[in-house]
Amino acid sequence: MTPPQRGGVLSRFQVGFVMLGLVLIVATLVGFLPPDGNERADWLQFIGRFHPLLVHFPIALFLLVPILEIVGRSSRFVHLRLSVSFVLALATLGATSAAILGWCLGRSGGYSGRLIAQHMWGGVAQSIVCWVCWLLRTRLRELSVMYVSALALGVGLVAFTGYRGGQLSLGPNHLTEYMPNELRNLLGVEHNGETSSSNADPNTFYGARIQPIFTARCVNCHGADKRKGKLRLDNYQALMRGGKDGPVIQTGNAQNSDLFRRITLPASHDDFMPKGKQPLTTDEAKTIELWIAAGASGTLAVEAIKNAPRGSPAPAEVHVEEIDPAVVTKLRSALAPTVRQLQKQFPNILDYDSRGSADLRLNASILGSKFGDRDLEAFAPVAEHVIVADFSRTSISDHSAAAIAAMKRLRVLRLVNTRLTDATLLRLDTLIQLESLNVYGTPVTAAVLPTLAKLPKLSHVYAGQTRILAGKSVPENLVGRLVF
Amino acid sequence: MSDSQARPRIPADPVITSGSPTEVERAFLQARTRRHFIRSVGGGLGTLFLGTLASKFAPSVQAAGAETAALDFSRDPGTPLSTLPPQFTAKVRRVIYLHMAGAPSQLELFEHKPELKRLDGQDCPASFLAGKRFAFISGVPKLLGSQYPFHQAGQSGQWISDRLPHIEKQVDDICFIKSMRTDQFNHAPAQLLVQTGNPRLGYASFGSWVVYGLGTENQNLPGFIVLLSGGKTPDGGKQLWSSGFLPSVYQGVQCRSHGEPVLYLDNPQSVSRSLRRSMLDTIDEINQETYAAFGNPETVTRVAQYEMAFRMQMDATDAMDIRKESDSVHAQYGSKPGEASFANNCLVARRLAERGVRFIQLYHWGWDSHGADAKEALNLGFNDRCREVDQPTAALLADLKSRGLLEDTLVVWGGEFGRTPMRENRGGQEMKYVGRDHNPGAFTIWLAGGGVRPGISHGETDDMGYEIVKDPVEIRDLHATMLYLLGFDHHKLNYKFQGLEQKLTSVKPARLVAEILA
Repeated sequence: MTPPQRGGVLSRFQVGFVMLGLVLIVATLVGFLPPDGNERADWLQFIGRFHPLLVHFPIALFLLVPILEIVGRSSRFVHLRLSVSFVLALATLGATSAAILGWCLGRSGGYSGRLIAQHMWGGVAQSIVCWVCWLLRTRLRELSVMYVSALALGVGLVAFTGYRGGQLSLGPNHLTEYMPNELRNLLGVEHNGETSSSNADPNTFYGARIQPIFTARCVNCHGADKRKGKLRLDNYQALMRGGKDGPVIQTGNAQNSDLFRRITLPASHDDFMPKGKQPLTTDEAKTIELWIAAGASGTLAVEAIKNAPRGSPAPAEVHVEEIDPAVVTKLRSALAPTVRQLQKQFPNILDYDSRGSADLRLNASILGSKFGDRDLEAFAPVAEHVIVADFSRTSISDHSAAAIAAMKRLRVLRLVNTRLTDATLLRLDTLIQLESLNVYGTPVTAAVLPTLAKLPKLSHVYAGQTRILAGKSVPENLVGRLVF
Repeated sequence: MSDSQARPRIPADPVITSGSPTEVERAFLQARTRRHFIRSVGGGLGTLFLGTLASKFAPSVQAAGAETAALDFSRDPGTPLSTLPPQFTAKVRRVIYLHMAGAPSQLELFEHKPELKRLDGQDCPASFLAGKRFAFISGVPKLLGSQYPFHQAGQSGQWISDRLPHIEKQVDDICFIKSMRTDQFNHAPAQLLVQTGNPRLGYASFGSWVVYGLGTENQNLPGFIVLLSGGKTPDGGKQLWSSGFLPSVYQGVQCRSHGEPVLYLDNPQSVSRSLRRSMLDTIDEINQETYAAFGNPETVTRVAQYEMAFRMQMDATDAMDIRKESDSVHAQYGSKPGEASFANNCLVARRLAERGVRFIQLYHWGWDSHGADAKEALNLGFNDRCREVDQPTAALLADLKSRGLLEDTLVVWGGEFGRTPMRENRGGQEMKYVGRDHNPGAFTIWLAGGGVRPGISHGETDDMGYEIVKDPVEIRDLHATMLYLLGFDHHKLNYKFQGLEQKLTSVKPARLVAEILA
């Protein structure tokens, strides 16, 4: 090894020592002044916010080094290896600065917990490894085993620290959150929603009603991994221990409990929780209030608090399907010409169930006695598409029994004030989709009930003004479904 | 801009030159030069850029515009009332709206407030009065507890007062919304808001919208029929069933419950039906000539209206004739053929519902219980109003239910606002009769029928029944929900007028009250 030029060596060592000094400073800071979950709105936090911005540069620079080394082995790219040392120096500087900013953020941004500790020590280790790599690379002409293993260690650290950082900012399972279920099963990754670590007894009020609220609304910031304000709400003991300002719950007194005060503040208030999120619903707040008032016990039975709002789940948002005209046209293509022709012949009594549907509604009652058996025959081609049919007050007779029975998809059938008798109704056992049957004012008798009882979906039979009598010879599964 | 500047080269009035739109278009295209093209490219790019910005910064604008094409409500001008399918599968096919004009007191009917009863006669707290406007209350009024006892009724255990013993029997089919709210405290604008979605004149009524959207199955009767119980016409007047900016064929037709159901429908003396027919045929011929010459669809609409009136001469009279009902039905409704009453109208409403009329609107009157005289006192006239509507309303519900009509009919009962928990003290004086002032802040409307969750109560007011503490429902929310039941997204049932896609729920965002849906 030939001694290099004097001045060059000195300056290189000076640079090296400055870097080491910085690394040691950040290590000391992390060791002696770890993040304590307090928030400090001062310069520290302002500077710290630049950590996520800066951190990506040393990552890219460091990952570039093995690439340069490998590609540089080829004689065509040998010149690339000349820059390795420079890139490493930059990466070391960047990593150290990022670590310092990271400490600023962690120290003042209200973080504490396992995740942040691992992330910070990962960052410090990364800076040291960078520095060692740079030192080894500038000292040695050949690639040594030590240098290569230091590089490999560095790459591993980048992955580990980066992943922890991602968990801090995006949530503990940010990588697998949207993993398809097939892949989940293959890799043995837990399913969403099953990750809840709550082990609270579901028979207690706390376990059944309180913890689920915290788990859904609070634990992201006040959990085992990220404990803003040193407060954890993921189990009963931690909840009662409180946060950096002491207990958040005063048993028996909701109004004086900091937790209840904060969740009921207006969302614009500085102390409002959950910060930046939707406020808890009035039902959720009421449940918590009653629980605190009842002593905030972890063992109180679930049914002990009588008047707790029955956390009725928010009604499903009504969702309206968009209509795709092309799909509808295709759906109707087979019957559209027939329907058009029937609509011309019998205006306004036949139409589609909706603009997105190929099902039909037939309302012959409008034509009254002018509509008879012969007219009904015309509808035979579309019989299986009719889901609602109203023949009330028409003059159809039992001759139409087959035509009605052919409407196999009928959900609603109305025969009010017609001449139809048992003969027709006994043939309607084909209407397995039928939900509502109206025979008001027909001469139908109780003899049809056993047939109707076999229709699985039938929920209403309007049997007023018929020969069916309330409470008499009604089959068991029609009880309560007959309307008089 | 470039287009309008290009126009001077085109003949000024297309109708005078040829009347053929294709020729106009051709002339227009010929007049366009390369300069026009380049100018519109510049402007067009800018427009595109702004368009993308707008979609970023105003997601609602984007949502409204980017959704699928508007629904098509166009019809053959000769059959403007022909049926159209709803946007999506609907539970409700028709509406019977029972409007209690004057605003019945929720505190005497549906709102059980024991705390208010306890504080009866005490001075109203200042916080109730600060910043509020009242129609008549002045100074410090006294709190007024309910004048009638309440009890729980039915399997659902809903609270109701003893004034409505018949409706009480149907309570398990009723869905109360106790947190209705309006921003109008005078009758006419408040009624307009409830019926047209807007407190000002000139907007289309609910019934008009529904008939515009769905048409009507029975072409021999109007699709939207209005019945008054005699007495006073509602303060909102005939605007309440106006079609506003919608084509006039969709307006409500007021029918009388005795005599001729529709005025001037019958043939004049010594004019026979066949003479009428030949007269109409001649008029139609002339109208057809006019249409061929001018192509105005309103001409065809006019022909269609004449034809409908001719058909109605038979069917309307039959539909309105309650003498055809049996005595037991009259006993059930308390109806007496020949007089103008709410009971008769309820029976007519059922007959119209059977005949496929889309929207049946009943108005009762006299609910404005200020206590200024005996007729509008809570302890006098109010009782009469309750008696007039209680039995027929209950009979209508029961009758619809037993005939299987309730499963696809929506029945709505309510006024235009609520009444105060304070006793009215007109001029700061204690009045001879007991009454309450207008309260737009909270009132009760109930629904029954298809698609509605029966036997529930939605929303809550405070212990005084004065303000809403849970789940407020604006009029537009109710409208959006009713339109949903009829098969429409309230944004989609619209009509272009004055540069806006006008809709029943107007421009403020409306919330579908999903909690009351079955």
